[in-house]
Amino acid sequence: MRMEFSDDMREILEEFLIEAEEILSNLDQDLIELENNPDDKDLLNKIFRGMHTLKGGAGFLNLTTIVEIAHKIEDIFNKLRNDEMTLTPEMMDVIFEGVDKLKEAIEMLKESDEIPDEEDVKELLEKLKAILEGSEIPQSDTFEKQPQQESSEEEEDFEFVEGVDEDIKKLILQYKGKDLGEILEELILLPPDERPPLEVVEKLEKLIVEGKDVKDLIKPKEKKEEPKQEAPPQVQQQKKPVKQEEKPKPPQKKKTEKKEEVIRVDVERVETLMNLVGELVLDRNRIVKLASSLETSCEDSDVIEELIDSITGMSRTVSDLQDAVMKLRMQPVKKIFSKFPRIVRDLAKRLNKKVNLVLEGEDTEIDRSILDKLEDPLIHLVRNAIDHGIEPPEERVAAGKPEEGTIKLSAYQEGDRIIISIEDDGRGINVEKVKKKAVEKGLITPEQAENMSDKEAFELLFMPGFSTADKVSEVSGRGVGMDVVASTIHALRGTIEVESEPGKGTKFIMKLPLTVAIIRTLMVGVNERIFAIPLYSVVEIVKYDPANVKKVGNFKSFMLRDEVYLLFSLGELFDIEDKPEKEFIVIVRVGEKNIAISVDELFGEEEIVIKPLGKLLEDVQGIAGATITGDGKVVLIVDTNSLINDKKTQLVGVL
Amino acid sequence: MSEMEVLGIREIEAIKTNEKRLITFRLNDELIGVDITTVVKITMDIDITPVPKTKKYILGVMNLRGNIIPVVTLKKKLGLPEKVIPGRNMIIVVETDFGNIGLLVDKVEGALNVDPEDIQPPPMNSIGIDPEFIEGVVMITKEDEERELLTILNIKKIFRADNL
Repeated sequence: MRMEFSDDMREILEEFLIEAEEILSNLDQDLIELENNPDDKDLLNKIFRGMHTLKGGAGFLNLTTIVEIAHKIEDIFNKLRNDEMTLTPEMMDVIFEGVDKLKEAIEMLKESDEIPDEEDVKELLEKLKAILEGSEIPQSDTFEKQPQQESSEEEEDFEFVEGVDEDIKKLILQYKGKDLGEILEELILLPPDERPPLEVVEKLEKLIVEGKDVKDLIKPKEKKEEPKQEAPPQVQQQKKPVKQEEKPKPPQKKKTEKKEEVIRVDVERVETLMNLVGELVLDRNRIVKLASSLETSCEDSDVIEELIDSITGMSRTVSDLQDAVMKLRMQPVKKIFSKFPRIVRDLAKRLNKKVNLVLEGEDTEIDRSILDKLEDPLIHLVRNAIDHGIEPPEERVAAGKPEEGTIKLSAYQEGDRIIISIEDDGRGINVEKVKKKAVEKGLITPEQAENMSDKEAFELLFMPGFSTADKVSEVSGRGVGMDVVASTIHALRGTIEVESEPGKGTKFIMKLPLTVAIIRTLMVGVNERIFAIPLYSVVEIVKYDPANVKKVGNFKSFMLRDEVYLLFSLGELFDIEDKPEKEFIVIVRVGEKNIAISVDELFGEEEIVIKPLGKLLEDVQGIAGATITGDGKVVLIVDTNSLINDKKTQLVGVL
Repeated sequence: MSEMEVLGIREIEAIKTNEKRLITFRLNDELIGVDITTVVKITMDIDITPVPKTKKYILGVMNLRGNIIPVVTLKKKLGLPEKVIPGRNMIIVVETDFGNIGLLVDKVEGALNVDPEDIQPPPMNSIGIDPEFIEGVVMITKEDEERELLTILNIKKIFRADNL
């Protein structure tokens, strides 16, 4: 059903959408909590109030189907909180269905100004109605009246400001959601005998001439007006639908009692700011370098000392500025974690498994652009954990484990990395089965399988076209997942690891950068060219010593202490001309493996701002992007993962 | 009407508004032109960082006002022989569907106006460039009264996903 909104209404709609999304996202968590604690009065009241607010807002905007669903759910919770009904799992399912429909409706509204048609919600409304009627306690007084009350109740969601003419009040209530101009039009279109007396029409016209409209005559009963002032008006016009997700997080703040000032800022502006700060950081680094060489090359003088002092001060401020700007883009992982209780509940139910979800470190913050891309991989991993990891209750009991499986989703910060892990206490990964599958699929040879460590075998899970499920399950999909998960994480310059113990469980650990824009790199030189290797993938740097280099089949290996690493030169990996003499070896981490890469020169560590190579070059293997150095030159940033990709299949099991 | 034309006023005006302005340059000995509205910047052959493991005609990347843009050897892209031309190469940065791209050319001749009515459809394989990439050709008269064929390229078409 298409909805039309006037500009004034649109403003109210924007507010409503934010509020509705907040209510609905909290609802999932609350409902799941309620399932465990069906008698929690506070919770019941909270859900009731949420529904009531939603219904009120939707009623004001004339969103009929949303009102109807919210109304029914509100009624159910009213009964629940008044002990007139007890919650059963069947009811819960219907309520979830209703909440889903509401979410869907809000999404539709956001995207295309549409709400579901009457037909779409008919079945759901029937079900909700059945719950209401099927209660053991005969309908109490409050509920008898409810249906007829519907319209009058909505009226209560806003009240008129003082001095509004009774006739006008009536008209506004009659033509809810229309502005005065539209009401006037409606009246004129009515047949003469149904038309209100001329004086009423005149009153209406007078108001319109005065520039008044419905919104000037009413005030929302609840706290609707305050937030309106908080949001800067210019935002609405520019981008409507996407806006909601992009803006930082005013909704949560709105609820807290203390008045926090929130402004909504276009993401692009933050992005520009971030880029500028990036440039500033580069300049700072260059100035610091110049100053220190000035210090060593010049004789001591007060001027230089003062210069160094002020540069140190500026340097600190720039660092603080960088932090502050970065924080603008940070959002707590709660934003996606909060979706999981529901996902886990639904899946567990469908698969007849009992799963308890534990969330940890929900307040850990991470760059928004990373967070957005994390959702799908996380959902996939959690699904996998429930589908493949957690055993059915009987099997768990037989294995001496608690009937209910546990999945732990946690996030914490470690230095400049965010660690997100998904841990289950299920059956663990069967290494032999994985190997067998990989051989069957032709991913590795049987010999390679023989020589493979467990860790390497787990890595196979991330290879394209691999799936351990014997049957394609509806839940975990068709094995298109894990490799996509891994490549998404790698694209974010993160790593993913697996730990698993048969019978005990599996743990996926993702390490992600805090931010996307600035990274520390090691500058290396090959054949007169300079490349930047991200520092997070550098394990160690050692002198090149020919005595430690051995040939193993088609590959070279490098011995360091007791470890043997595969050795490549950066030149050969990039298919560029290469000199046989090398100076240094950089040990880099590629997935689960460490690999030795030889280079001609080392230029030290540098903080750089990543810039994209542009559309024409976006799929170049081995290059993550480029940066512009202080002297204006372009330096390419190495992506070790995709660089080794070509060789990866040959490498499996070699070491 | 015809009087006006005799007086020449209308005619000149008409030509002025309709004229197509081109940036002309050399690829080997050929005179080539591109629509001036697609040109972002013309620069000397500055530092180009080669990018390994990519298409042969992509020479590398350069820094254009803080942005990184790819540089293409236009002769290679068009399948022309690569004669060594003395003197410093120039880079013409053009706007395409793939963002800004630098085109490495031999020598920039300058800007030139042509009357769209003089532009002829591309002859088959006249100078070894696929006619698909050519918008048209036009005969121009140079300062020394000699006439030369100017080939106008269709930049948008050259850098389209299926032509890369």
